[in-house]
Amino acid sequence: MHKILRTRRIAVLAAAATSSLLLSACGGGGTVGGGDAKAFSLTINDDNHIVQEELTALSKGTCAAQNKALPLKIQTLPIGNVDQKVQLLAGQNALPVQFAAGGTPQLTKTLDKAGQVLDLEKTLKDLGVWDDLQPAAIKTVENLYGKFNVMPYQFNIEGIWYNKKLFADHHLTTPATYDQLVAAAAKFKGAGITPFAADGKDGWPLTRLVSGYLYRELGPDALQAVADGKARLTDPPYVKAAQAIADLGKAGYFGKGVGSIDYDTATQQFLTGKAAMFYMGSWALGDFNDKTKNTIGADNVGFMSFPTVAGGKGSADQIPANVGLPVAVSAKSYDAKVGDWLSCITKNYGAASLKDQGTVSGFKPHGDTGSLPPLTQTVQDTISKTTTSILWFEALFNTKATETSQTNAAPLVTGSLSAKDFMQKIQTDLDNG
Amino acid sequence: MRSVLGDRRALAVLLGPALLVYTLVMLVPMGWSLGYTFFKGNVIEGFTFGGFGNFEKLWHDSQAHSALWFTFKYAIAVSIGQVLCGYLLALLYVFVLRKSSAVVRTLVFFPVILPTVAVALMFQKLFAVAPQNGLANAALDGLGLHHGDWFASAGGSFVVLVVMDVWRSMGFYGVLIFAGLVDIPDETLESARLDGATGWRLIRHIVLPLSAPVLLSSVVFSINGTLKVFDSVLALTNGGPGSDTTPLTLYMFRTAFSYGDYGYGSTIASLLTVVCLGVTLVIFRFSRRDLTKG
Amino acid sequence: MTDTMTAPPRKLLPSLPPATVRRPRYARRLIRNLLVALLVAVELAPLAWLLISSFKTQSEFVNDPAWSLPGRWDLNNYADAWTTGHVGLYIRNSLLASVPSLALTIVLGTAAGFALEVMIWRGRHQVLLVFLVGIMVPSQMILLPLFRVYFQSGLSGTMWPLIITYTAVGLPLTVFMMATYFRAVPREMFEAATLDGAGMLTAFWRIGFPVVRNAVLTVALVQFFFIWNDLLVSLTFTTDDELRTIQVGLLNFTGQYGETAYGPLFAAISINVVGALVLYLLINQRIIKGLTAGAVKG
Repeated sequence: MHKILRTRRIAVLAAAATSSLLLSACGGGGTVGGGDAKAFSLTINDDNHIVQEELTALSKGTCAAQNKALPLKIQTLPIGNVDQKVQLLAGQNALPVQFAAGGTPQLTKTLDKAGQVLDLEKTLKDLGVWDDLQPAAIKTVENLYGKFNVMPYQFNIEGIWYNKKLFADHHLTTPATYDQLVAAAAKFKGAGITPFAADGKDGWPLTRLVSGYLYRELGPDALQAVADGKARLTDPPYVKAAQAIADLGKAGYFGKGVGSIDYDTATQQFLTGKAAMFYMGSWALGDFNDKTKNTIGADNVGFMSFPTVAGGKGSADQIPANVGLPVAVSAKSYDAKVGDWLSCITKNYGAASLKDQGTVSGFKPHGDTGSLPPLTQTVQDTISKTTTSILWFEALFNTKATETSQTNAAPLVTGSLSAKDFMQKIQTDLDNG
Repeated sequence: MRSVLGDRRALAVLLGPALLVYTLVMLVPMGWSLGYTFFKGNVIEGFTFGGFGNFEKLWHDSQAHSALWFTFKYAIAVSIGQVLCGYLLALLYVFVLRKSSAVVRTLVFFPVILPTVAVALMFQKLFAVAPQNGLANAALDGLGLHHGDWFASAGGSFVVLVVMDVWRSMGFYGVLIFAGLVDIPDETLESARLDGATGWRLIRHIVLPLSAPVLLSSVVFSINGTLKVFDSVLALTNGGPGSDTTPLTLYMFRTAFSYGDYGYGSTIASLLTVVCLGVTLVIFRFSRRDLTKG
Repeated sequence: MTDTMTAPPRKLLPSLPPATVRRPRYARRLIRNLLVALLVAVELAPLAWLLISSFKTQSEFVNDPAWSLPGRWDLNNYADAWTTGHVGLYIRNSLLASVPSLALTIVLGTAAGFALEVMIWRGRHQVLLVFLVGIMVPSQMILLPLFRVYFQSGLSGTMWPLIITYTAVGLPLTVFMMATYFRAVPREMFEAATLDGAGMLTAFWRIGFPVVRNAVLTVALVQFFFIWNDLLVSLTFTTDDELRTIQVGLLNFTGQYGETAYGPLFAAISINVVGALVLYLLINQRIIKGLTAGAVKG
């Protein structure tokens, strides 16, 4: 008899344990962090070398005191996994102090709603460093995120970088129209040079070409119209843009194996003279100004904005501007030490990144910026001349549509996915989002 | 006697802990996951009740359908490849190499224990076209077979994936089936030989029926593994190009952790569970009938 | 390689003169040897290539064809993999996660297998079936609830989620395999033990466990490779870079500033492969013996 009781007791215990687990799980909000950061941690995409290098330099130099109080610790991961990782970490209340905002602003908005993202406008004003930000950068961030809650470590324009020497050798002028661009590509292909270096593994450098074409064809509101539901990606003019880029791939203008080429390899192709053109943001200036990486020489790199399309509504001075993949700050791990770090960065990052990397950030440069490399000067001038800034292809998409777009970019240019199906897939995800 | 063999206290001590851990960490979460299928949302945002919405979504979701289809395609191709190559290896060990098979067995078994990610990265580079042709492509070029970028097309990626997984695991199945073949009594084989059965006929009429049980457990084991494939796909193709090589497992993982939809992720996981259980039951059914006939 | 297993002690096929006409002996031997050579080449060539490539520099990777030999044989890549790639740390983490969970799985699973197979009580077949379900259900099904529980209970950010999950996920197969092994042990052994007045627990410790010692080793090895190669669980529950297991580490392997560093990556893979090889040579006899002992027969 007592044996039976004993098994009963075990059963009861098991049931109790189970239910307590269940209860604790349904209990909602777990522990709240609140300034117990052990390090000034940063989780960032691994192809973003500039921010890592610059923060490391600051931690050893101007911000050494802050670093002593709260050491900088950087973790990198492939850009394709950033969104996933950030959500996993947020789900465990384990967000690092700073983390790369998602590939889509929508994710940051979601995290913000859940109280995970620090309101930087308030924080930086409290710290008294609000005036150290570039107004243009503030505006860009607010346009994208609805409020100022990411650190604008980069302030970039995007366009096509080209190898001046190769263009001269083949008697080509800088293309002003899309047709001229294609003609130039054909000439390079004939000469055995890869016309466009492109990171097809991550896909976004390819979809940027689609949006570039779209903006030139339909004008700067092309993608806002899709977000507002006034237009669909499956409409003929939108499919036409995807088709144009697919045709570049079909003609072999991205070289072979574009789907397996990653960011570093693509950069290398361009900087070793194997490829004539390279669509990229100005964050790549760090690599361009780096003599060990750039064997064609910085003065051989030219910049053109995406050329106009015949009969299109857009113009070439509408330039994609963004704050790169910005970095958000975790609200849960904010404390005085983190504040110290943030104000030190805001005050000094602008000048340091200009001086060391020749890249433009969203912080005002104070003091010694060194002599600017000519390429950087070009970018500065272009930024000041820009009338309308436009966004990249996936800027207004949800996470799933973004991923669909970027993973299907390589199939689009290798011809295993038609332009219509490519747009249809993304539109479906937008509709279900 | 009975009472000792059925001693409840001993039973509780021996079985209790395992059953408790298993119940708490596996059975309860399984039920819980089923519960999730009626909700939308995730840990970050909170959950809202959605009724049968997730099942409806699954019914119409073309991506889920293609993931299901890919799961089947992969499972069938790799399971057949694994078991067939394993069987051929076992025959080689038993009938051709005989006593000297030990060294070869050891060599062929080795890839089984390599980390999946390491193998996948290796195959990525073997079949690479950029920055340089990998070894496999170089060898094919040498034979005059030019193949473009393997990973640019669904077909090419699928081929590399299947080749990799069969390469990795055939040694395991070789040893497993070898163990079954070795148990066939010599007398049976000898008397069959005296009856004039040699080569193919010997295998067809004597060896195959006698090794049916070990073959069956190999098939079940193999199917169970291949339906749940995750790491080799993730490390080799990451589900690409596009989502052409995305099995249900990876689609579920993405849905839950990238798109932040736990409910729908659980719904996909439930579908996968149903598939796994269903396939195993079908195999057992089928084999039982077959065995009674034989 | 001399340490290979011996064939089971049985007379293999007798060399009776068969009834059919044969090709000459040397031709058959040639075909046989060619076949074996091809097989070994297919299995080992990729690994050889991997090892050779692990000595190449970045520029050799980018500019030279795949079959070319490295210009210099030095261990720089290995040093890089070990230091900036944190391979040592990741291997330590993998051990921290796998050893405790392996021990738990084996002890609990063997005891449960004994209880289910040797002891006689009503409902044991049903319980065994319940365990069987666990073999078939994919881990995806338990991931999300566990994720939540670990988070709420504050376990995330430690090794515990991995240890607990691995233990539970490994149990069904262990229980099932151990039950099969116990089935092969003559019942008289246990009955004799209980006649001496020993209880069931004593019988288990004195006889049950020792009798299946070899089998335990086999199961432990199978489970070890399962855990060691797992990606799904470790990818979900390791948040911190410091806690990454070797698989997750390899998956996200990059150089100091996230550049793709081919040489150190190949070196990191080679470290894994060579480690596995050493382990394998130490224990392969055991694995194959165990499998041959009839563990997984229908």
